[in-house]
Amino acid sequence: MIAKLHDRLVKKEISCKELTQEYIAAAQRDNAELNAYVTLTPETALETAEKVDEKIAAGKEISLLEGIPMTLKDNISTDGIRTTCCSKILEDYTPIYDATVWKILKSQNSVLLGKTNMDEFAMGSSCETSYFGGAKNPHDTGYVAGGSSGGVASAVGGNIAVYGLGSDTGGSIRQPASFCGIVGMKPTYGAVSRFGLIAYASSLDQIGPITTNVEDAAIVYDAISEYDSMDSTSQGRQGAPTRDTLGNDIRGMKIGIAREYLEGIRDDVRAAMEEAIEVYKSLGAQIVYFDLPSLKYALPVYYIIACAEASSNLGRYDGIRYGYKADNYRDVNDMIKKTRSTGFGEEVKRRILLGTYVLSSGYYDAYYKKAQNLRGTIVQSFRNAFEVCDVILAPTVPMTAFENGHAVSDPVETYLTDICTVPVNICGLPGISVPCGSDSKGMPIGMQLIGNSFCEAKILNAAWQYENAAGKFKAAVFGVKL
Amino acid sequence: MVTKEEIMKIAILSKLSVEDDEIDKLTKDMSEIISFADTINNAADEGVEFDNINNLSNAFREDEVRPSLDRERILANAKDSDDGCFMVKNIMK
Repeated sequence: MIAKLHDRLVKKEISCKELTQEYIAAAQRDNAELNAYVTLTPETALETAEKVDEKIAAGKEISLLEGIPMTLKDNISTDGIRTTCCSKILEDYTPIYDATVWKILKSQNSVLLGKTNMDEFAMGSSCETSYFGGAKNPHDTGYVAGGSSGGVASAVGGNIAVYGLGSDTGGSIRQPASFCGIVGMKPTYGAVSRFGLIAYASSLDQIGPITTNVEDAAIVYDAISEYDSMDSTSQGRQGAPTRDTLGNDIRGMKIGIAREYLEGIRDDVRAAMEEAIEVYKSLGAQIVYFDLPSLKYALPVYYIIACAEASSNLGRYDGIRYGYKADNYRDVNDMIKKTRSTGFGEEVKRRILLGTYVLSSGYYDAYYKKAQNLRGTIVQSFRNAFEVCDVILAPTVPMTAFENGHAVSDPVETYLTDICTVPVNICGLPGISVPCGSDSKGMPIGMQLIGNSFCEAKILNAAWQYENAAGKFKAAVFGVKL
Repeated sequence: MVTKEEIMKIAILSKLSVEDDEIDKLTKDMSEIISFADTINNAADEGVEFDNINNLSNAFREDEVRPSLDRERILANAKDSDDGCFMVKNIMK
């Protein structure tokens, strides 16, 4: 989609201003139903579009992403544009610097349409913990878009943005992409700079693309995977641009299936996985089955580590330097307590409390230390898996999108739906979700390809080959029709 | 099983206040979450030492003088500021 639009811009079949106006109008119209955007930025979008049109008119070359209307999850800092994390505590916070990913895209004249909805501080799997209410699924607004990057997935799936950047701590890019029938990739830890991403769990967080197809994911990933001196864990992309490798022959490629990933998933999701396996066989790939027993620890390990890191990262919200500040307090301590207690939502408070608990004296060894050691076990077992296969194929989510309101009722049950996505974050590996069918109600099913560290090119190519062979899945009904 | 007293103690450490009408539900939720976390506590597997992901080491850079953020813009996000400083109530009497 990006390459096609780029082509039309260069050939002057449509001006960037016209393209941008189409997207702004569609976003303003459809957001009433989708609730994908929490902030729209039409003025700056049109300003950028005019700049791109001037460049094209002057016969200057434009990059692939130049002039393409896109969006950012609302935890990615944007200088001068409010960035809320969809929390009351940051409702009126305006960053004074750009996240590195946005700095890169802005320098290429990317047309930012606005900032998109998310679970508060990226904590949730349905987007419903958002202070602004949840984003809806573009395939059926009676269902959630997923989370936490639900707004980006809703906007891209509903075509009120060409692509977007989300963040993925335990599946927050891949799960909503799966729910909305589109593509989402979580890159290797360190491949994309986290500078300016408002932190949830720093050893797990990673920014990545949400797009309508695999080629777009490769284009966006190639653009944002730069080394950044502002992020001490940054390494940047290793190797050539991934887009150049799309379409490479996958005959003989070893696709691993861990039996544990297929346990406890819904029948229709399992059937879609089995069909995908057949597609890969027909493309000449070799299917390798193996066991991954450490997978049973992945969820509790994830929640312990994520909440521990969150309790520390969210310590900074005290009402003094930015964000919401409570009224009517006795002293500084009372002010901080009241600010945090009224500024944070229920799920965020629960996770701060859990994180503080597992780090507190007397519980640290039993929970946090033990979880870190088991993290080591899980990392080791994935290393062993990549001795016998090139990529791992797994479901993205054991089911399809929840109906609105379902996820909020039982926190532990909702945590369990993250089982297929969290191992990738625990191990810092890259993972991509691609649509692979739909359920009896027409809601999309997604599958996930997991690669070894910095092997984004391999999973993108394997995903591209599948997409090319399996054909198109049902598109949602909203958005721009060009 | 987590007790109400433990929740209150953790809330103080987290600088969160828990109201009387919230404590029962929170204790129940937290107990469920902790017993879920306990599945690893009961694991026979001791695990292996984990120190970092992808053998990353800190990517240090030279500590060079560079332009900093603008003070006025920083203070513009604060609810109370005066004379280039953030304002809070007296900490000491």
